[in-house]
Amino acid sequence: MPTPVRLPTYLSIRSAAEVVAACQHLIKSDGDAVVDAVGLRFADPFGLAMLGATFHMIRDQGRGVGVRGLSTDMAGYLNRMDVFKEVELIECAPHATGRHDRGGTLVELTRLDSQGGVDDLAYRLAKALVGEISDINPEEPPDEMTSFTAFDRLVEPLQYALSELLENAMTHARRQGYRDASVWVACQYYPRKGLIRLGVVDNGCGILATLRSHPELRRDTHHEAILTALRPRISCNRDLRLGTDSVNQGVGLTTTCRIAEHAGGRLVILSGDAIHSTNGESGTLMAGAAWQGVAIALECRRDQLPDIRFRELLPPYNAQAPVRLRFE
Amino acid sequence: MRSHFSLGQYARGHLVGARATAMPLREQVEEALAQGVEVVFDFSAVEATQSFIDELVGVLVLRHGPDILDRLVFKSCSDDVRAIIEFVAADRCDQYIQSHSH
Repeated sequence: MPTPVRLPTYLSIRSAAEVVAACQHLIKSDGDAVVDAVGLRFADPFGLAMLGATFHMIRDQGRGVGVRGLSTDMAGYLNRMDVFKEVELIECAPHATGRHDRGGTLVELTRLDSQGGVDDLAYRLAKALVGEISDINPEEPPDEMTSFTAFDRLVEPLQYALSELLENAMTHARRQGYRDASVWVACQYYPRKGLIRLGVVDNGCGILATLRSHPELRRDTHHEAILTALRPRISCNRDLRLGTDSVNQGVGLTTTCRIAEHAGGRLVILSGDAIHSTNGESGTLMAGAAWQGVAIALECRRDQLPDIRFRELLPPYNAQAPVRLRFE
Repeated sequence: MRSHFSLGQYARGHLVGARATAMPLREQVEEALAQGVEVVFDFSAVEATQSFIDELVGVLVLRHGPDILDRLVFKSCSDDVRAIIEFVAADRCDQYIQSHSH
C-alpha cells in the first residue's frame, strides 16, 4: 500500500511551497499515488493547475492516482473544475462525485499541448470568465466610436494576459528536450472580493534552462533566472537565427506583470526552487521544494480591468524607428 | 499598387494574440512584398498583443531591415495598437542596426 501524500489545507499560491512539495513528492514516488485530502479546505486556480499537471504527469508514468478523504464541498468543487479525469476517488464523503453548483464563477481546468491552440483558448477562457460576472451584458450594443462594449473591455486585458502567458509557456517549456511539455490553466472569479485569479502551470524545462547561456544572467540560480526573465527585452531567442521560426522580443511577461499591477493585483512566478511575486515576496522555496517547469498565478481586481491601456504597459524606449511609420 | 490585409478575420473577439496566428499572415505579406506591392494592414475594431505585432512586423524588420517599413501602411489603428507598432518597430530597428554595424 503506497504511503499517502497529504495535501496542504490551502492548495493555493499563498501556500506555494507546501503545494509544490506535495506535487513533487507525488511525482517522484514509486507505484500508484495516493493523495490524502482530508485536510484540504480551499483551492485556487494556481493550486488546481498544479494538481492537474501533477496528476497528468503521474498518469504519464503509467501509475494510478487515488484521492481519499475529500469533503463533499471540495470533491464537488474539484469535480466541477474537471481535476479528476482518470483519478480514482477513495473514501470520499457521500455524493462526492456529484457536481456542486457554485453559481457559475468557475472556468474548468484546461490543458494545452500545442501552440496553435493559444488564441482560441485565451479567448474562450477570458470570455467564459467575464461571462460569469452577472452585471455585465454580453449582448449590449457596442460603443459607436470604438466598436467595443463593456464586456469587451473586461475580456481584452484578460485575453491579452492569457495569450501572452500561454504563448510564453508553450514556446519556452518545450526547449531543452522537453518536447512533450504541456500547459495547464484554470481561472476563477470571486464575486464577493471582486477578484479574478488565473493559474498557468507547465511541466517544461523551467526558466533557468532557457536562460542559462544568456549573457544577462548573472548567477546560475532559479531565482536569478526569474528576475532576469522579468526584465524587458530579455529572451533566449531575441535573434532570428537561420533554421528557426521562432523569435521573442522578451516583453510579453513584463507586460503581463503590468496588467496585473495596473489592475490592482500581482503576478507570482515560480520555477525550480524559486518564487517571485511582483508585490514583494521573492526568494527560495522552503524545505527543498522545487517545480521542474514554470507555475504562474495572476490576481487582479475586476473593476480595474476596463482602465487598462496597453500602450501604458510597454517598457520605456528612447529609440525611434529610422524610417517613418505610415499610419492612415 | 497595394495589397490589403484585414486583421479582423484573424481576431478572436477583438484581439489578435498569438505568434502562431501572425506567422501565416506574415508569409502572405512577404509574398506580396516580393511582388513589389505596398502592404496595408487594416486594424479596424481590432486590438493586438505585442507578441503578435512583433511576429508580423518585427520579424519583417529583422529579416529585411528597417527600410521595409516604408512599404507598410497601418490603417485604422487604435492608440494602443499604434503605440505597440511604434515600440516594436523602434526596438527591432535598433536591434537590426546594432547587429549590422561594424
